[in-house]
Amino acid sequence: MTTKTKSLAILNSTAPFSKTNGKDALDIALIFGSYEQPTSLFFQADGVWQLIDNQNPEAIKVKNYLKTFSALEFYDIENIYICRNSLKERKLAENFHIDNVQILNAEDFSEKLSQHQVILRF
Amino acid sequence: MKQKLAVVVTTPPFSNLTATAIAYIEAALEEEITVVGVFFYQKGVLNASKHLVLASDEFQVIEQWKKLYITHNLPLHLCVTAAQKRGLSDESEVSNIHDFFTISGLGELVELSNMADRVVQL
Repeated sequence: MTTKTKSLAILNSTAPFSKTNGKDALDIALIFGSYEQPTSLFFQADGVWQLIDNQNPEAIKVKNYLKTFSALEFYDIENIYICRNSLKERKLAENFHIDNVQILNAEDFSEKLSQHQVILRF
Repeated sequence: MKQKLAVVVTTPPFSNLTATAIAYIEAALEEEITVVGVFFYQKGVLNASKHLVLASDEFQVIEQWKKLYITHNLPLHLCVTAAQKRGLSDESEVSNIHDFFTISGLGELVELSNMADRVVQL
């Protein structure tokens, strides 16, 4: 059976705590990372909230899975892209809880996304 | 060489997207595309529940998965974590999933992605 490594893009477009989409997407990223699959994370629309610093989900009895984002670098997941327009629309400062976030305009965001062979969205 | 397809289902049994996933798989098989497997994640795992009752005049999604499994030997994988948190188990004494579904881990999604030429999530 042929097994070829594929590049995976995970497109996050939902806010972090009202649904489990963000956590479910992160679980996939970490597994693909541990299998040494090239994996990138994309954040747009309400998904951009997942990268914003100083959140307190414990206040609503939700585990703070955002802390786990700091583990991404150990799985060699270094391509993390966020949509500039989505930040602007929500009047959010570029104040992220991880370091290597790349802010892209819509065209570059779309271009990067299209360079991946598999896209999963949450 | 035959093209290979993997499908990711994240929608519940009563979602039209699940019906579309089934129609899509059937169309692919008719085109002689090899479907290497279906991976059920998030609410998608509910498709395997033995206790599911859908109104008789609605699309009988379980019957369709069963038909695909029997006719095409189509592997149907559930994510174990997603299944457990929705009360689904395949442990012999208490199994509440149909036996044509297999409980797997996210590692199986990595395998399916690498086996397939294309991965589709609806």
